[in-house]
Amino acid sequence: MVNDKIDIRNLNVWFRDNHVLKDVSFKIRENAVTAIMGPSGCGKTTLIRAINRMNDLIYGCRTSGDVYIDGHNIYDGNINVYELRRKVGMVFQKPNPFPKSIYENVAFGPRIHKVASGRELDEIVERSLREAALWDEVKDRLHDNAFNLSGGQQQRLCIARALAVKPEIILMDEPCSALDPAATAKIEALIRRLSKKYTVIVVTHNLQQAARISDFTAFLYMGKLIEYGDTKSVFENPHSELTEKYITGKFG
Amino acid sequence: MSRLIDAGLEQLSRLIFKMGDLAEKTVLLSLDCYMKGVDVHEKVRVLSETLVSLSEEAEDKAVELIARYQPVASDLRTIKSYMKIAYDFSRYGRYAWDITHIHKRLDIKLDECRFPWMPLEEISGKVLRMVHTSIEAIKKHDVALAKTLNAMEREVDEIYYRCLDKLVEQPPPLTGCVVSTLLFIRHLERIADHAAYIGESVIYIVTGERVSLR
Repeated sequence: MVNDKIDIRNLNVWFRDNHVLKDVSFKIRENAVTAIMGPSGCGKTTLIRAINRMNDLIYGCRTSGDVYIDGHNIYDGNINVYELRRKVGMVFQKPNPFPKSIYENVAFGPRIHKVASGRELDEIVERSLREAALWDEVKDRLHDNAFNLSGGQQQRLCIARALAVKPEIILMDEPCSALDPAATAKIEALIRRLSKKYTVIVVTHNLQQAARISDFTAFLYMGKLIEYGDTKSVFENPHSELTEKYITGKFG
Repeated sequence: MSRLIDAGLEQLSRLIFKMGDLAEKTVLLSLDCYMKGVDVHEKVRVLSETLVSLSEEAEDKAVELIARYQPVASDLRTIKSYMKIAYDFSRYGRYAWDITHIHKRLDIKLDECRFPWMPLEEISGKVLRMVHTSIEAIKKHDVALAKTLNAMEREVDEIYYRCLDKLVEQPPPLTGCVVSTLLFIRHLERIADHAAYIGESVIYIVTGERVSLR
């Protein structure tokens, strides 16, 4: 059955006087990959950071409008933000493993959420590394420092770290921009696989990447949602002239 | 500032327009051959083969543009449609060549197969107009002009079926003439279909809509 996981309604975000997101409304499909594209500064990162309330951590940030996940408004006063951020994991542009072992990186989340220890923790680490398609490459050196991994492996480790706390949604902010083509291809294949189980939202500057990996594509321009639809339609026959110009490289 | 893909698109367009001009000339010659007995069989064969090789060239160019630039939106629609149109033009050429074959192959004289009750001038005139319209529509990316092919295609179909009925009701005395007329109108009807396909491609390039003009 097809469900909407996230329902964004009239979302506005300001950083002090800067109105970064302007009345953005759309629904994000469960167990699908949604790509968010647009020129630098259009509000892509702010939009995904609104989905796990990461913007709250920025001084001078103000938000209006609602974001519903599974029907619950995450901007309600009584929401548990830590639980929200467990449910909505995030992977960043540059791989950012902790200066710890591979094992400890993945075990970090379950440990602080006190959901597992001992053998159960071992199982979570293995499952997460397998899900992130990294297990076979690191199973014999789990206690090596994570910094010894290649860039692509470090990024998959960060994905494994996000998966370890059993999220339902994974936000990815330019997850391949620091990686070479081979590592990028692995992450892209991984994103497709993860979408069978998780709702994945990927911010990307790379239009071809959006076209390759996503089921749905949103185009933001100067804080406004210009177009949102299934990826095939957006890339073959965009409705908006702005989208057409952006994706064909006629501006931006 | 122009985009890198623009030079390639320009080259592909020029190739397609050149094919259009050649294809129209080829069809015109083949009609002269069938209707007036002008001996252009060899000329039409060469033109038809040239259209096939230009069609392959257009396809190669289109694939190169896809590989190099990963086009999307109107660029993608244009490239994809130009590949199809190049094929349509090569079919114009092939049917034209087939038309020039007819009398030669059946070994009958033109005069023996002319009957006033058979509206061959009418159908060939309309098909020629469709060919010309399809080429103008693609050169100008003119949706309104492309849409006029719909009515023309229906008219050609109507005459085609009228001809078929006449062949049954008032068959020419020579069997060779029946076959000759049948093949001629059949090839013309197929050329008209390809003109309509080209019209559909023009509409798709400009609007992204898939419509049927048949």
